[in-house]
Amino acid sequence: MAYEFRLPDIGEGMAEAEIVRWLVKEGDVLAQDQPMVEIMTDKATVEIAAPRGGRVLDRCFAEGKRCPVGEVLVIIGTADDEDRTPSPVTPGPTPPFATAPVASTPARESVLATPAVRKLAREMDVDLTTLTGTGPGGQITAEDVRTAKVSAGLVAPAPRPMVTGDVRIPFRGVRRQIAEHMLRTQREVAQFTYMEEVDATELVELRNKAEARLASHEVKLSYLPFFIRATVEALKKQPQLNAYLDEKAGEIVQRHEYHIGLAAQTPEGLMVPVIRHAERRSLLDLAREVERLATAARTGHVSPSDLGGSTFTITSLGALGGLSATPIINYPEVAILAVHKIAKRPAVVDDKIVIREMMNLSLSVDHRMVDGHDAAKFVAEIKSSLETPGLLFLEST
Amino acid sequence: MAEKPTSKVRSGQSQAESVEAFSDVDEARATGLRQILDENGLALAAVPTLSAEELVRMYEGMLRGRLLDEHLLTMQRQGRIGLHLDACGQEAGVIAAAHALAAEDYFVPALREASAALYRGLPLRTFLAQMLGNANDLGHGRQTPGQVGSRAIHHVIGSSSVAAQMPHATGLAWAARMRGESTVVVGFVGDGGTSEDDFQSGLNFAAVFKAPVVFVCQNNQWAISTPLSRQTAARSIAIKGLAFGVPSFRVDGNDVLALYAVIKDAVERARAGRGPSFIEAVTYRMGAHGPTDDPSRYRDPAETAAWQRKDPLLRYGIWLDAQKILTTEAQAAARQRIDEEIRAAIAVEEAAGPPPTSSLFDDVLAEPSWLLDEQRAEYLRARKRGRS
Repeated sequence: MAYEFRLPDIGEGMAEAEIVRWLVKEGDVLAQDQPMVEIMTDKATVEIAAPRGGRVLDRCFAEGKRCPVGEVLVIIGTADDEDRTPSPVTPGPTPPFATAPVASTPARESVLATPAVRKLAREMDVDLTTLTGTGPGGQITAEDVRTAKVSAGLVAPAPRPMVTGDVRIPFRGVRRQIAEHMLRTQREVAQFTYMEEVDATELVELRNKAEARLASHEVKLSYLPFFIRATVEALKKQPQLNAYLDEKAGEIVQRHEYHIGLAAQTPEGLMVPVIRHAERRSLLDLAREVERLATAARTGHVSPSDLGGSTFTITSLGALGGLSATPIINYPEVAILAVHKIAKRPAVVDDKIVIREMMNLSLSVDHRMVDGHDAAKFVAEIKSSLETPGLLFLEST
Repeated sequence: MAEKPTSKVRSGQSQAESVEAFSDVDEARATGLRQILDENGLALAAVPTLSAEELVRMYEGMLRGRLLDEHLLTMQRQGRIGLHLDACGQEAGVIAAAHALAAEDYFVPALREASAALYRGLPLRTFLAQMLGNANDLGHGRQTPGQVGSRAIHHVIGSSSVAAQMPHATGLAWAARMRGESTVVVGFVGDGGTSEDDFQSGLNFAAVFKAPVVFVCQNNQWAISTPLSRQTAARSIAIKGLAFGVPSFRVDGNDVLALYAVIKDAVERARAGRGPSFIEAVTYRMGAHGPTDDPSRYRDPAETAAWQRKDPLLRYGIWLDAQKILTTEAQAAARQRIDEEIRAAIAVEEAAGPPPTSSLFDDVLAEPSWLLDEQRAEYLRARKRGRS
């Protein structure tokens, strides 16, 4: 009979542990309390000894993988077990306090709910005895109560009075996708926003001169190509912002390709067409691409091949672009940059108040992977490029 | 102040008063290292008068603590107990103090002194029941594992507040004196605890009111990851006691005989109404602070290896063997016997299972309230419904 050893919470409220090293192989016969595996929690690396003797049938997690608390870490059979596929598990004399989830508790023996949940149930008029709890040990959670209320509501929808003049729009398609995407970011990402002010006077001068030159090229040179170029140069220096989190592998993946998403308003709603390999493009090239994508967005003809796969997103409302914002990250990216309008504002230069072309930047980042210091450095880098735009040509392709 | 005073009288104090000042001898006691057994188990000084039986009992007390720690550490990592803080390498101070006390005396433990409770008569199974928080645990699993207390043996329940034990011990001792009892109290603290306010309050009150208390500081060099060098700039921990007017001693904390001699003297002084003492036991925390601590992140393994050679059990074992009090073979036999005793007790207590959930309603208030009664009744009704 096989015994499943589930990873206990051996720290203080740990959620998972990384398998550092197996000290036993499948097929090995173990004595009770023989060290079998070295694991690393977020606090310490420790050895776990076999809670009982027998043959190792299955090491369920490879070295380097992360085992969640409560998951089967290793299956131990009897010494004469040859079978590598364990027979259905009878826990046998499982230590009473092993943290095996109580999946097989005898049919709900009581209503398990905290006082707060009971109060909520009373308020929402939900009968706790009719619910099946999804919490630990079959506990009824606040979520269970709300779900019950909602599904009850779906069965018998309350008649909604129509008020003349109200417009009801089906919530689906792009709108719904946007909603889900935004919610996902809000739910999964620890987002914070960092704001900075940029003196764009030199940038405005440069762009005006360049635009005059480019008139013959039939390309409209906006500021966006400069922002993209400045962003790419800054990303090269702060690769942690051009990344995503591979949660399954437990790895942060830093990209060395720079596909810049541009938040664009389309007739259907927000879309993010992508400039592929922005690092390989000249300013002129970027300008052409920005123009192509902007036109496609405006006319509602963004091609699917222009969507998805961005590594970093810039959102710009052009002349509308406000003072500051808290843009929502384009999941699974780790940061998004909002560029705001350039406007003449008083600024202090050499202790004198002068009129300068000023603009603001708002950078939202995922604090799970990027700390404030790095966000600040990144923005400072962009600021410096935009304030002295000649610098953008130092490393340009 | 050209001449070095022979007696360090605090300035500003009247010479006419009889001031309890400290002498060079006091200072030497507080900064030297009292030792009887050296690292090789050789007796360098007179061994205190103890019967062979007592000497063996102390050995077994230390050994029991060590073996129990090994089992409990393993069990903690298997998820069988919630928490364990071991005392590996620090057994000498615990057992020396436990042996120096009379049955009516009180023991106030800090973190790693549970084996003193066993030594003073707490049944092993009671201890394990508390460790497991099982159905046999008098506290129904409500106290941190290992912080066992027992009225019967005058072992005060553990507290996780660092150095809280100092005023607790002083308070107990002062109460005993007010009642005219001859009870003595031993209170433990760690090196980290000596930086706490409670350390000062406990020591000062005890000194001023001559409370019959003996403070033992297990200076194990590390307060989690804070080394002694970052803990104090004083020449020793013991010397701090002199500032309070308390006789203070720095002792080899891995030498059970030296510790016993010094603690025993201190207990007798306290019992005779001569006030508190402060003893620094210089020892070493061989393991991690606790389950969430990884000493390899901040400690040089060479340091730990050097202390391994100073193991209190090892040197005492060598000496007992050389004295033919307990031969190496007899020590091995004792190890096996105690280990089996521990295994058997663990098996029995693990089989006891957790306390009934309905016990949640017990012991909440001294007198039952309608609210609790209602909750209990509702719980039992729901339980019955679920079963049918």
